[in-house]
Amino acid sequence: MSVAAAETTVATRPGLVARLRLGPALIAGIMLLALIILSAVLAPVLAPAGPAVVDLGSVRLPPSADHWAGTDAIGRDLLARMLYGGQVSLLVAGAGMIGSLAFGTLMGMLGAFGSYWVRAVVDRAIDIQLAFPYVLLAIAITSAVKPSTGVLILLMVLAAWAGAARVVRSIALQERGKDYVKAATVIGASPFRIALFHVFPSVLPSLLVLAAMQMAAMIVFEATLSFLGMGVQPPTPSWGGIMLDGKNYITSSWWLTTLPGLAIVLTSLSLVLIGDGLQARTDASRSREGDE
Amino acid sequence: MSTLVADRIVKTFTVNRGGATRELRAVNDVSLTVAPGEIVGLVGESGCGKTTLSRIMIGIETATAGEVSYDGRPVKSRSDWRALRRSVQYVFQDPFTALCPTMRIGDALAEPLAIHRICPPAERKARVARMLEMVGLHPDVARRLPNQLSGGQRQRVNLARALMLEPKVLICDEIVSGLDVSVQAQVLGLLLELQERLGLSLVFISHDLRVVRYLCSRVLVMYMGEVVEQGAVEAVFDNPQHAYTRALLAAIPDHSRLTAGAAN
Amino acid sequence: MAPVLSVENVSVRFPGARGDITVVDDVSFTLEAGQSLVIAGESGSGKSMICQTLLGIAPGAASVTGTRIDWKGRDLLRLRDHEWQAIRGAEIAMIFQDPTAALNPLITVENQIVDAIRAHRNVSRAEARARAIEVLGLAGFPEPEHRMRSYPSELSGGLRQRVAIALALSCSPSLIIADEATTNLDVSIQAQIVKLLRELKDRLGLALIFVTHDLGLASDIGGDLLVMYAGCAVERGPVNDVLTDPTHPYTRGLLRSAPTLKSSRANPLRPIPGQMPKPGSVGAGSPFGSRCPVVVDGVCEVQRAGWTSAGPRHDVACHRFALEGREGVR
Repeated sequence: MSVAAAETTVATRPGLVARLRLGPALIAGIMLLALIILSAVLAPVLAPAGPAVVDLGSVRLPPSADHWAGTDAIGRDLLARMLYGGQVSLLVAGAGMIGSLAFGTLMGMLGAFGSYWVRAVVDRAIDIQLAFPYVLLAIAITSAVKPSTGVLILLMVLAAWAGAARVVRSIALQERGKDYVKAATVIGASPFRIALFHVFPSVLPSLLVLAAMQMAAMIVFEATLSFLGMGVQPPTPSWGGIMLDGKNYITSSWWLTTLPGLAIVLTSLSLVLIGDGLQARTDASRSREGDE
Repeated sequence: MSTLVADRIVKTFTVNRGGATRELRAVNDVSLTVAPGEIVGLVGESGCGKTTLSRIMIGIETATAGEVSYDGRPVKSRSDWRALRRSVQYVFQDPFTALCPTMRIGDALAEPLAIHRICPPAERKARVARMLEMVGLHPDVARRLPNQLSGGQRQRVNLARALMLEPKVLICDEIVSGLDVSVQAQVLGLLLELQERLGLSLVFISHDLRVVRYLCSRVLVMYMGEVVEQGAVEAVFDNPQHAYTRALLAAIPDHSRLTAGAAN
Repeated sequence: MAPVLSVENVSVRFPGARGDITVVDDVSFTLEAGQSLVIAGESGSGKSMICQTLLGIAPGAASVTGTRIDWKGRDLLRLRDHEWQAIRGAEIAMIFQDPTAALNPLITVENQIVDAIRAHRNVSRAEARARAIEVLGLAGFPEPEHRMRSYPSELSGGLRQRVAIALALSCSPSLIIADEATTNLDVSIQAQIVKLLRELKDRLGLALIFVTHDLGLASDIGGDLLVMYAGCAVERGPVNDVLTDPTHPYTRGLLRSAPTLKSSRANPLRPIPGQMPKPGSVGAGSPFGSRCPVVVDGVCEVQRAGWTSAGPRHDVACHRFALEGREGVR
């Protein structure tokens, strides 16, 4: 392509934002999430003090110019704890999300492309997992083994993989019946190759939506378990853990529970917005395909 | 000698309607021999079993009874079928669903080469470009996705992909029925040209007897799972013996029956 | 006899990123009661868009302009929405390519037809039911009294299309538009439906517009033929005359591309070189100019051809024909 031709194509193209087809919900979600992640990453710069600096002279101070989010029962700056806690919460939830999606995708693909017995085993495993109340499962496991961040992530994967597996399996089964998969068989492609190169790319958009939704659920799940004392262990701060610390003062010092709660709500909200936006995009491209 | 033979193929489906199971014979004792270099037409209306038969011949459906053989050797095990598909290829009816929507045309065409390790990766691109040119497409098409192509272009891509393995026999299932007349004529011309140049045998499945008459040398007429008439195209079309063949021919809309100056 | 429908210089445009995209370009035709008109063309010719215009169901983004669409003395181009309600289904009815999409899967055949009748006419249920049986009988639906209690999914494709035809007939329209109505059917069913439409036209004195891409089918329908290419009408006349003595280079190319029961490889098909222009890319010149073997240099590129007579009621829009007659386009 000549330079002139390249320039004209660029000139007539719609702007970057229009080309990415980002809806308002998606833009709002991404901006909010970016803000949250950025402030967590920049915690060492932004935080007025370390997350574990105890100052018994200023205990349970309400939000003020000195302590924007107040201080907790042993005088630690709440804003600092929330910023550092954000790092932990986001990392743990991210790890749980990625782990559950990876394992769920693997199981879902096996459930669509495996041999008869493999498919049967995957089906039953999904049924059993979905029937199991996972907060109970979590309580059972954490009472048996010592709670730690590693155990928490493992719990998240156990709690959430089946949802991903079901979505992946149903899309993969749908695609498997299509002519292009048969055409790939005819040119000699193995089931593994078909699953990886032909079907997986079709699963990907739905997987992205799921990733956002799953991440939101994981943020809440981490907070739930930490609040119950079974997640991230003190003194490492996490949003759920901070709420646990503050729960005894819920009537007298509202900020100790409300502000970390707000962080959790805003983070899940941003993720749900992103998930919805991505879903709308996937639906739109599906219906465009249908128009042809 | 590369002859594809389907011998006494039977395919039954069990259907469950209102609690009662019934056996449905989609293909009933049909035999078909494809000799080297010949174009065999398989005609009939929907549900007559022509597509099922053709899919059995490439092993994407299994026969209830009967046997497919190639070069005199029966095709039975999974590895037999894999070997058969090096020499027999299949082009699907719907150009819009037969291509992976997320794979670029070039990758889709190179895939058979990669799977069967036919040539070093560096050469694949050149082979793809050559094949695209052979089916009358610009090599730049390799960079496109299927939804950026028209129906006729996609059908050419499907054809090119099936030809990448240099098959001896090509089974084409209704590959021109979804195309506009002028595009259809282009694809038919391409098929004839490829058949001549590569010495291909073709099994051409269609409900359009006009196209079959033009393209094929031999024809089998199927009705409700059975072959009711077969023979040379001229014989079957000009002097049909079976009542169904006659009815089918009479139903074909055909402007060549018009005569100049006649009243409507 | 005065025509019931007279379409004068109608165009349909869609707004595009780089100016309007014209999908129907200055098309005119007339149709008399009891007569049929076949509109033939390939995909992208604009043939379906004309039908939608005649029913006032063109997509909302489309702008329909023209001199007039005269329907029994009224101008369809200037109807309000509620006026369309009284015409659509009652005076002009349409049969679609896919009968499954036109029928509600959750309502029995009987109730769909009865509802359609009662939507337009103030009649009792029993009267509407009697009419439903009558139109199903006209459409060749077997044993209407019993089988009209079926749901669409319980019927074969051919029977569903008969129900769609009965539905179209239910309010005694004067014009039926069949848009590729037989394309998805098996050839023997297609032949039956075509025969039925011809009979209905003669028996009920209906006007029929039959849209198809299949010139063979056009010859089975009979009547007049309008050949369209890239939104423009290029040739018109009695089906028989146009198909046995085609004069527009596109019609000629199309006929040479279409196999018949007399085709053989000894007499190869000659495809039209090139591709249909993209909608909106046809300028002021002849729409077929870029693919035309007998293009008139310096004329076809800049100016659209007007109609030239090629025989009684047989016209062609071609500069070469206007200049040199039949010899020129051969």
